[in-house]
Amino acid sequence: MRPDDRHYLPSHEWVKTDGDTVIFGITDFAVEELSHGNVDDLVYCDLPEPGRKLTQGETFGEIESVKAVADLNSPVAGEVVEVNKTIEDHLQVLAKDPWDKGWLIRVKPDDTSMSHLLDAEGYEASVGEADE
Amino acid sequence: MTRPSVRSESGTFETWRLIESWNATPEFNMGLDEALLDDPEAPPTLRLYTWSPDTLSLGYFQKWADVPGTESAGAVVRRITGGGAIHHTQELTFSIVLPQSHALFRGPVPLSYGRIHGALIVALTEFGVEGSLAGSGGLRSDREKSGMCFHESTPLDVAWGERKGVGSAQRRRGGRVLHHGSIKLGSTPLEGDIATLEECLPAGDPMGALVPVLMRTFETSFKVRLERGEATTSERSAAQRLGERYASQAFLQRR
Repeated sequence: MRPDDRHYLPSHEWVKTDGDTVIFGITDFAVEELSHGNVDDLVYCDLPEPGRKLTQGETFGEIESVKAVADLNSPVAGEVVEVNKTIEDHLQVLAKDPWDKGWLIRVKPDDTSMSHLLDAEGYEASVGEADE
Repeated sequence: MTRPSVRSESGTFETWRLIESWNATPEFNMGLDEALLDDPEAPPTLRLYTWSPDTLSLGYFQKWADVPGTESAGAVVRRITGGGAIHHTQELTFSIVLPQSHALFRGPVPLSYGRIHGALIVALTEFGVEGSLAGSGGLRSDREKSGMCFHESTPLDVAWGERKGVGSAQRRRGGRVLHHGSIKLGSTPLEGDIATLEECLPAGDPMGALVPVLMRTFETSFKVRLERGEATTSERSAAQRLGERYASQAFLQRR
């Protein structure tokens, strides 16, 4: 079971409340799809600068594995206040720990509602369908 | 709209649209691929195409300064797929655009490469080429700092004669996948010492020999039926609109 302290998009991004901000990341499923267990296969990650306004569902960044580029989608609307600079140069951190040290950006949300997102159970079901 | 049939348990083959675009502009080629990627209603599509003029395409994340060939290549675009630069001359380019849930693309990215490259290796045997996956030891065609896709190998690349012979890259977004592939009919100054089909195809009409074999192999390997078609009016319109970005200085020099 994936962590139940956060919410999810079917496109494999997660969002977790942390005080009056939220942090975004991608799930282990997304990492596995891109790298298939090879932690060195993630090669580039393009993240927005602090201050950028994001709308819900907007593409806020892109990540490249050795063989594919994938979009990163915003689970909620808000303003970027911090970027995890560590992973831009050390994507192994993301590959090894997508739930904690591999977070992507911190956002001050416009709205704290997450009812439009999947909870952990819903995300599990979504991933299960993708695996079938 | 007629929806393509989906392969059922009884073995009905799915129909893919085949769009051939010979000597098309780089803006059209890249614009149409993106239009198909972004349209969830677009039917499963295989495109076969060539480029006019000859064009150097950069990978999405490549830095302009990291590809020396930009100085001499003439036309240059930036793809939305990843990987290294490719000089599109003496080449058959193909693209496959499908939902990410399709059996060809389901699961980790490397598995989808295995499926497509497996089919290409089968096609190569018809020309007496014993292709295989490159494996982890590197290839004789690998070069430092050329920035070219064919000079940098990964274990999943198709190779023969210890040289890389097929360039591949993907873009995944919105639940859909665009897969790019390049098969070389000859080498170019920017892509020296790579594997090509130059010696294996008839000199008079190499493309005419390669295309039907590739089509037949894809049909057999992917259990699909290819049906020649064309881009719709709305797809062509989207291609034109999207295509303008590819050769713009802002997009080319974004990195």
